[in-house]
Amino acid sequence: MLTELLQGTDAGGFLIIQDSASYSGRHLLKSFINAALHREEAVHVLGFEVSEEELKDGLIGASIHRLHFHNAYTDPLGWTHNPAFTVHQFCSEGVTQLVKQTSQSKPATLVIDSLSWILRHVGPPAVCKTLQQLRKGGAVRAIIGLLHADMHQRGTVGSVCHMATSVITVAPGMKGDEALAKITKRSKSGKVMQDEEIFSFKEDFTVVVQNRPSQLGLKQTETEERETDPTANLTFNLRLSDTEREAKEKLALPFVFSKEKKTALLHSGRGSGRILYEPDANDDYDQEDPDDDLDV
Amino acid sequence: MFAELSSILNASPDSFTQGEFILVSDRQSDASFLIHHFLSFYLRARCRVWFLGLVQSFNHYSAVSQRLGVSLAQAKEKGQLVFLEGLKESLSVLIPQDTNTGSKAMDFLRDPGVGLKSLYEFVRSSVSSSGSRAEGAEEWGPPVLLVDDLSVLLSLGVSVGAVLDFSHYCRATVCSELQGNVVMLARCDGEEEEGDGDDEGSETLLKGLTHQCSLTLHVQGLPTGFCRDIHGQVEVCWRRRQGDGQSTQKKLFQYKVHDKGASFFAPGTSSAVL
Repeated sequence: MLTELLQGTDAGGFLIIQDSASYSGRHLLKSFINAALHREEAVHVLGFEVSEEELKDGLIGASIHRLHFHNAYTDPLGWTHNPAFTVHQFCSEGVTQLVKQTSQSKPATLVIDSLSWILRHVGPPAVCKTLQQLRKGGAVRAIIGLLHADMHQRGTVGSVCHMATSVITVAPGMKGDEALAKITKRSKSGKVMQDEEIFSFKEDFTVVVQNRPSQLGLKQTETEERETDPTANLTFNLRLSDTEREAKEKLALPFVFSKEKKTALLHSGRGSGRILYEPDANDDYDQEDPDDDLDV
Repeated sequence: MFAELSSILNASPDSFTQGEFILVSDRQSDASFLIHHFLSFYLRARCRVWFLGLVQSFNHYSAVSQRLGVSLAQAKEKGQLVFLEGLKESLSVLIPQDTNTGSKAMDFLRDPGVGLKSLYEFVRSSVSSSGSRAEGAEEWGPPVLLVDDLSVLLSLGVSVGAVLDFSHYCRATVCSELQGNVVMLARCDGEEEEGDGDDEGSETLLKGLTHQCSLTLHVQGLPTGFCRDIHGQVEVCWRRRQGDGQSTQKKLFQYKVHDKGASFFAPGTSSAVL
């Protein structure tokens, strides 16, 4: 599902990448930017958290001219005298104006890095209102936002994500360069699809989706079954050769009542003690059967 | 500076990464020994250092740096070190005198709600003015800002948002614009808790700073308790690598602080144990 999302959000789509302090979602955000640039879309980035050089780092290519970076990093609060873009300018008119200034007739993809910065200064209701107006507005085709889920209360995160058509929550994976993505996608018909995928990045920001976590669980049990051989690396020999193994298997255990033992007991061999019994006349007297002692 | 820590961070006074935002943090422990390391490291690397000392006096740092082989008084005289003594300056705010024309840096004490803009202005004007120094002054390296520590600002009534804005602006000015480094100390008292709760200031501050920084050094006590020979553990986490892709590398070390420095070793390899 991650690959589908990378291939293009539908018009009016709003994608949120949720990350935490233990794993930064900015790399995935850059993958989305890269994919959009390759699709010949104009991408407008509202950069609050990282500088232009840092965001463009690694995104080389001919299509970089379609990436318009609006600098809200050096002075987002207007502390100097001529700020480029402040956080208070984040309203639908301000953003629409910004996008229309530099874009051609095609609606652009808006990338917000990050929504957390805006939410800290402008309250959640205003942010949600602006996002909704931008989606309906038509100047912007799709919106992708980065949100640091651990910086806000759960209610705030919930309300902003409620407006999104897709939410990707990233977390560190089990191996070093892998990460886990939990994806929730809401389609226009109202159907909600959820999925979990393990992915990693290649050098050019393309995403490689690997096997799903459930498969990874199976792989782990397989490795556990390949136990280490306890008879290896010892100073004495615990192994059996073939003849020894045969002799071991042939050995009859002492207290097991096997077939051979049964026949030996029932048919006692020659020379062993025999019991000879000659019934006495008095012994066989059966009171119920008077004819018992008839020799017929 | 601690030689072992420098080699762990792949840095030496002659070559270190520029434009880095280093976060030193601790949880129920004391990471200030790392501040002394960075102070002496950057002074040795011939960088101009701006030190916002909000919790200790100048003499304290001077005495410790003496043991590490660096003279702060000399550096201050030469103009290599600019020291904002927060404790002294705060007196001029709390006990206003007419003859006082002190800097406006600690003005946030008057009204913490206003935020740290004046503190940032102090840093900015001080850092930028050095660029237009007259000819004949010594050639210094990139600017470095050290803050000890940010959590005390929370105790003084400044909101978490204001502190994060301050650190953002410092980073934008010193790291991105001037290609210098910033080292900030943030401290946490409680256990790390998951859950909504009320906005635990220092936890949110720590998380916010972690998102902003490129290198974190997190100091904690040993999970098994007090030990005479091992004072705790340090987790070093590299968050950003230029052009290398997302490789968040983490390394864990144990450390012991002595008279003239600190030694760092892999867990379980303390000299007292081996």
